[in-house]
Amino acid sequence: MRHTAVEEWSRGASPLHRLNPVAKLFPLAVFLVALATAHRELPPLGIGLGLLLVTGILAARLPVLGVMLRGGVVLPFSGVFALVSWLAGDPVRAIELVLKSYLSALAVLLVVATTPVPALLHSLERLGVPAFLLTVAQFLYRYLFVISGEAYDMRTAAAARGGLTFRAASGALAVLFARSYSRAGQVHRAMLARGFTGRFVPMSPPRLTAVDLLFATLAAVAVIVLRVAVERLA
Amino acid sequence: MHIPDNFLSTPVWVALDAISIPAAGLMVRRAGREMEDTRVPLMGVMGAFVFAAQMINFPVGAGTSGHLVGGALLACTLGPVAASVVMTAILAIQALVFQDGGVLALGANVLNMAVVGVLAGYLPYHLWGRGRGRRAAIFAGGALSVLASAVLALAELLISGVRMPGPALSVSLGLFVISALLEGAITMTVVSALEGIQPGFVRQPSTGRSFAMTALGIAAVLLAAGGVVFASTSPDGIEQLAIQAGIHKPLAGYGGGAGLAGIALLYVVCLAAGRVTRKRST
Repeated sequence: MRHTAVEEWSRGASPLHRLNPVAKLFPLAVFLVALATAHRELPPLGIGLGLLLVTGILAARLPVLGVMLRGGVVLPFSGVFALVSWLAGDPVRAIELVLKSYLSALAVLLVVATTPVPALLHSLERLGVPAFLLTVAQFLYRYLFVISGEAYDMRTAAAARGGLTFRAASGALAVLFARSYSRAGQVHRAMLARGFTGRFVPMSPPRLTAVDLLFATLAAVAVIVLRVAVERLA
Repeated sequence: MHIPDNFLSTPVWVALDAISIPAAGLMVRRAGREMEDTRVPLMGVMGAFVFAAQMINFPVGAGTSGHLVGGALLACTLGPVAASVVMTAILAIQALVFQDGGVLALGANVLNMAVVGVLAGYLPYHLWGRGRGRRAAIFAGGALSVLASAVLALAELLISGVRMPGPALSVSLGLFVISALLEGAITMTVVSALEGIQPGFVRQPSTGRSFAMTALGIAAVLLAAGGVVFASTSPDGIEQLAIQAGIHKPLAGYGGGAGLAGIALLYVVCLAAGRVTRKRST
């Protein structure tokens, strides 16, 4: 697990990829709230919003099936709750849970699949999220695959030796902790030596262009119009 | 247990976002003041460690296995404030990049795991981490941290009107207790192993002075304990309460406009609060 599929997807060059992240986060927020607060006529609304997302996936030149399957990571969790709701005699709520949690996850996935994570975190800073927290998150994401790779190797080695006992697993985790800890020190010294000032500076701070504003407005309006239309017509 | 979007009703997630954004902001500012610059890469890399630690399985017999959740372990090694910030960063990355937990529900998840979970996990260590009961305190911290987060999440779901008949509720409470004990055992054995490698990894609990920390931790534990008792004795009671408070049934009355306006208001308030405190501190 060196890189996830999302990481690959986010490096595309479609018009959607080139938009300023803020121009994608705003319609995302509108989408999530519009979906979360909708309680009437869910099936047609769900289909409409789903088609909107599929349009987005196509516009981003991403594999439609792959993205839609990846969005299904929420389904085991919502499926269990939906089953419980169904058995408790509330099938409407069961369908609502599955449909809405899936569409929300797909919408978030579409934004992340068209925006590299470092750029996404930078844009969150411009929206007022504390820089300290985002710097921690930047480091976290940078070293996520390195440390995960190390954990994966340890797991493979343990499996080759015939598996871990509980005590051995704690030992392995402690070693992973110690390695991560010392790696953090090395990383920091190396970065200091290269002039790191304590925060990440993007190569070119992206500005909101007219295209960004147009996209953000159109996408948000499309979501709102869709919901109002579905509720009026029904 | 990461709550996805659309499991919580609108009033619940708006309220929880409103609570946890300032709470996380407070932790971040405290961490920013207390930490030297060298700690920032450390916090990020240890966040990656907690992510990766999920790959190391702890066998618990009968072919099942568990893994570390990490709140209490981070609190014992980095300190509660830094641990809270790291957990917040983890939850944000999980919600955004891995669709593990919702974006609108991020406030709920941050409150459950990064604020209450970490503080509840640190409390026993803070109180008894110096004497003979040290190992027991670390065990209790791990268990308490998972239990508090899980019970809070369950209570939030129930208040939102997610149906949970009696048997399902008992089963989930039972599972919570098992995973809490497992987390306690993992945290305790990993801390002992860490001290074997290098004693400096584990922080000694600070003496006395942080009264606010203790108070917050106790409040977190009480909240969770109250939730357990309430949920186990009267599952219908919560629903009743929700109906009385007008949260759960008249959902049709809530338009998208109200939700959006709520978010916008919340955003402006947080931004303004951030600006004011920043000015005062510089």
